[in-house]
Amino acid sequence: MKTERELELYFGPQHLGMVGNFSITLQVEGDKIVKAFANPGYLHRGFEKLMEYRTWIQNFPMVCRINVIEPDSMEMVYAMAVEKLAGIEVPERANYIRTIVLELSRLASHLFGCWAYANMLGFDTVAQWAMYHRDLLLDLFEELTGGRVYHIYIWPGGVRRDIPKGFKDKVLNTLHTIGSCIPDYDAAFFNNRLFYKRAKNIGKITKEQAKRLGATGPILRATGLKHDIRKIDPYAMYDKIDFEVPTREDGDAYSRIWVVRDEMIQSVHIIMQCFEKMPEGEVFNRIPNPFKWKIPKGETYVRVESSRGELGLYLVSNGEDKPYRVHFRTPSYPHGLIILEKLLEKASIADVGNIMISLYVVAPEIDR
Amino acid sequence: MATSLPDRGKGKYIEGKVKKMDKLIKEITLAFKGVKETTIEADKLIINAKKDDVLDILNFFKERGYDHLSLISCVDWIESGQFELIYILSSYSEQNGKKHIILKTKIPRKNPKFKTVIQIFENAEPYEREIHELFGINFEGHPRLTHLFLERNYKIPPFRKDFNTREYVKEFFEKIPFVEDKK
Repeated sequence: MKTERELELYFGPQHLGMVGNFSITLQVEGDKIVKAFANPGYLHRGFEKLMEYRTWIQNFPMVCRINVIEPDSMEMVYAMAVEKLAGIEVPERANYIRTIVLELSRLASHLFGCWAYANMLGFDTVAQWAMYHRDLLLDLFEELTGGRVYHIYIWPGGVRRDIPKGFKDKVLNTLHTIGSCIPDYDAAFFNNRLFYKRAKNIGKITKEQAKRLGATGPILRATGLKHDIRKIDPYAMYDKIDFEVPTREDGDAYSRIWVVRDEMIQSVHIIMQCFEKMPEGEVFNRIPNPFKWKIPKGETYVRVESSRGELGLYLVSNGEDKPYRVHFRTPSYPHGLIILEKLLEKASIADVGNIMISLYVVAPEIDR
Repeated sequence: MATSLPDRGKGKYIEGKVKKMDKLIKEITLAFKGVKETTIEADKLIINAKKDDVLDILNFFKERGYDHLSLISCVDWIESGQFELIYILSSYSEQNGKKHIILKTKIPRKNPKFKTVIQIFENAEPYEREIHELFGINFEGHPRLTHLFLERNYKIPPFRKDFNTREYVKEFFEKIPFVEDKK
């Protein structure tokens, strides 16, 4: 029932507090939100339909554009599904390189998330640091793959090419540069009392609620559940690598950002272990002529742990040179469409951007 | 280096798991008649069910710890004149975390409708909305079957196989005159 004091507010992409092409319609009373409705669709490009018109290999430049911030996990999940349907093996060295690339992109994505969150709450200095450090990682990607944002590097049967000479030292150098700034980040942002007051008890979600609403990734781990696909269903080389799954108990925005912070440190450990253990050898297995490549009939569901949570792909082949049906399960989908709506109820207008960014919603991933 | 890691007891673990999956298969074939199951990998089970059984089977798996609905998808099998709805379930618990249940059911392509599963899995809401919009399937009992991504109605819902993207683009965008032509 609408009361007389109720107003409808449109919180859209043109709003300063909104990051990304996404909008929320808010029903407010005073500055309290009564109900919120998420409206995605600003970036709907129909990729899943377009992919049905293109050959298996031609789809790679499309897949990475689904998630602008972390394209590598998209490539990985598509390559994994194609490999599973076609029965292609991946050499061990390629798997190590994949792990390194995935973790570097997780770092880049988390730093981007920190930029968005710090910027939102007015910690401009921290935001600049995070953006600068992300740029250093993009430089690494440029050297490795030729592209800064979209890499198209992970390929069915391996990776496109071997790592260049001296790349390892450059990566370690960059990671040391970023790692040496952790105390500064902590002092200025993560342990900052202003940030604590702004983020504590905001957007709180319990473990049961998170499970019921289909949460994964940092949002689920911030409620205390140790659920990480890298551990429970390992892909690439994650079963050979020793790492922790950071969790927090409270389930609020502050816990979520701390899970992200701890994950970044774990990513650095994973990359260092990969470089240590990486054997010599081939980096790709040859695939058939891509113009005539037909994949046998079948279907599969594969998933990876992207920086935001479970990223899955349901892929159906009917024995042709093109996929019959592609459907991505992106982690932001339940986070942005259900959990966000639930958390915004009874919150204040000033916290809308705060809650949304703490949920780590990336609009292009929802729309596809 | 790999030997220095704590041994996760791989062989034993997997053996136990496969047996558990067998138990599940036995239980489900006993409980529901007309269920066809295939195992594509050690941890992935595909179940073809009749459309009337779907809600009960989802409840059956939810009671047995498959409490995470990963995805609801739809495939348009135009040649046989059917839509196939796919429910992918997995678990939040550690021992079942690796397993997947892919539950599939077929509904006729003409006047397609199905029951909503929101009362079992709350996060089904946007998935069903998306399938309604892109495939034109009506979910009975769904509280808001409004537009999710698109802004207008299409004659043929755009993700169906008989919707031709190229023809649509030609038809729709060639009607819009160039800026120069307007003068």
